[in-house]
Amino acid sequence: MSQVAVQTKNEAVEKNRAFKRIISKFGPLIGLILLTAVLTILSPKFLTINNVMNIARQSSINALLAIGMLLPILTAGIDLSVGSLLALSIMMMGIVTVNMGMHPLLGILVCLSVGAAFGWLNGILLTKLRLPHPFISTLGTMNIARGIALIVTGAAPIAGFPYMIQFLGREFVGPIPVSFLLVIVVYVFFHIFLTRTQTGRYIYAIGGNPEAARLSGINIDRVLIIVYTISGFMAGLAGLVMVGRVNSAFPLAGLSYELDAIAAVIIGGASFLGGVGTVWGTLIGALIIAVLRNGLNLLNVSADFQMTVIGAVIIAAVFVDVLRQRKSKKA
Amino acid sequence: MKKKIRLFSVAAAFMGMVLLAGCNSGQEANGGENTERVAVVLKTLSSPYWKYVEAGAKAAGKELGIDVTVVGPNSESEVMQQVNMIEDQLSQSPGALVVSPTQPDTVVPVLEGANVPVLLIDTDADLKNKTSFIGTENYEAGYEGGKLLASMLQKGDKAAIVSGALGNTATDERVKGAKAALKEAGIEVVAEQPADSDKTKAMSVMENILQKNNDIKGVFAANDDMALGVLRAVEAKGLDVKVIGTDGTLEAVESILAGKLAGTIAQSPYDMGYEGVKNALAAIKGKKVEKRMKSPVEVITKENAQEKLEFLKKIVE
Repeated sequence: MSQVAVQTKNEAVEKNRAFKRIISKFGPLIGLILLTAVLTILSPKFLTINNVMNIARQSSINALLAIGMLLPILTAGIDLSVGSLLALSIMMMGIVTVNMGMHPLLGILVCLSVGAAFGWLNGILLTKLRLPHPFISTLGTMNIARGIALIVTGAAPIAGFPYMIQFLGREFVGPIPVSFLLVIVVYVFFHIFLTRTQTGRYIYAIGGNPEAARLSGINIDRVLIIVYTISGFMAGLAGLVMVGRVNSAFPLAGLSYELDAIAAVIIGGASFLGGVGTVWGTLIGALIIAVLRNGLNLLNVSADFQMTVIGAVIIAAVFVDVLRQRKSKKA
Repeated sequence: MKKKIRLFSVAAAFMGMVLLAGCNSGQEANGGENTERVAVVLKTLSSPYWKYVEAGAKAAGKELGIDVTVVGPNSESEVMQQVNMIEDQLSQSPGALVVSPTQPDTVVPVLEGANVPVLLIDTDADLKNKTSFIGTENYEAGYEGGKLLASMLQKGDKAAIVSGALGNTATDERVKGAKAALKEAGIEVVAEQPADSDKTKAMSVMENILQKNNDIKGVFAANDDMALGVLRAVEAKGLDVKVIGTDGTLEAVESILAGKLAGTIAQSPYDMGYEGVKNALAAIKGKKVEKRMKSPVEVITKENAQEKLEFLKKIVE
């Protein structure tokens, strides 16, 4: 081969790589843009300020759960308990503030700490009791937390929260819902945490290659406990936003929300095998789900059909990812 | 690379097709361009009871020549999805909104911001700006149920009550009504336990009640699913106990025809849907709508069960 030919071939390979990088980085975003374009054509009401703000608000609860979920998934784990933790957190907050009439700040503190405490318990079950997989420990706490949420008020809902508690889920800054501003702040925080701190890098390392992580002296147990505690804390925070939206707490709140959160993380390009996934991908994953639901609602598509579509999108998103990885391995 | 582009276009085309298919199915109900539009958001569309409500709402739309959209989540547990659906319907500026709230308190914040008439059906909520509430008078339904049960028993007989979930105001009111009627007739209520409107739970609750009181002659259940669960427990023991339910579902009516369930107090879900849409249109046109409209109840026993069955079968077709 002449030198020129080699050079052009190298250039082509370079170009191909660059293209792949772009696709892998922006794949979910491209999907979101395509989806938005299609829905804009189909429904004149879709791309209006009012509706975009609806989407922002509707996506916020799942976005908060999903960013918490990203951490366990990055460590090749999972947290099935977040939906139930959300319910338990808000029921406890309701008991403290509405039933017992205590200060709303104390209620917020209770809400967040119940989530975090159960998250911590998930971490302990996994690392100290050595349950074989977080699927099991969090499946257990999922049922325990839901059970307690039902027991504490005998399954009755609690309504009439003080304004301070409703603020996050209810208020707007201009046209923008406060809940979505919260999402942005939280995501920036997680981005910095995962990319700029030692613990953040350890989280990726544990998921990418646990053996290497262990050998390099990372305290894996400690990192895992932090991961599940954060995930539980985020469930409490998402609950706080939900209470603000509907001014009530009910024990069946957040039923199967863990699955939406997992879907958002996976659609956002994270790998179940751990070590791969980004904060912004997760945000786009959460937005894709919210946009799909909202768009299908605007088109008056039945809820049953919506489930089918979201299922298909999850499979399609992961399939694209699998193909990409297969190709990059060959190259 | 080509392969990848092809893959993306396939994915995009697939999405497009899916959405178009969905769009078409949504537009079926669309009438002309300038007709009034009423959006109806129910607790779910996946149970027989709500299918009757949906059928009633759609029939009203057809008769009045207006565009009626009926939506609802996959199940009654998807509370937030219902709130989202209300938001999404409101953003399409319908002429009026008809809602049946799954958890009454949760819909208040979103509905308070609505700038169109809001009518509630089946379940009431503490909403300041509601135009009307159309629903069963649950106390009355329970009272009729208690009366029916008493008419099948002797004075001094023992009876049990199976109630709904704690805090469920609809079933609580029915139980109160039934108790009042039973007391008046001199029937002694020896047990009252909740079974959360669930058939399986009602069966085990009834098994427990029978453990202690095997001389019970009658049971009032606050909904039909529980009544059918109670019936199974009674049948398993081979006892002759009269069981009365509430709701008037197809399954219950069939059971009555088969001589198993003694009777039920039928609500009128079809009427609720129909009246909801009809009065929504009246509100759009600025006519006066009554704040509280009673939806009638009907006593169903073996005599009129056949008639009811035919009606129920007809409206869901």
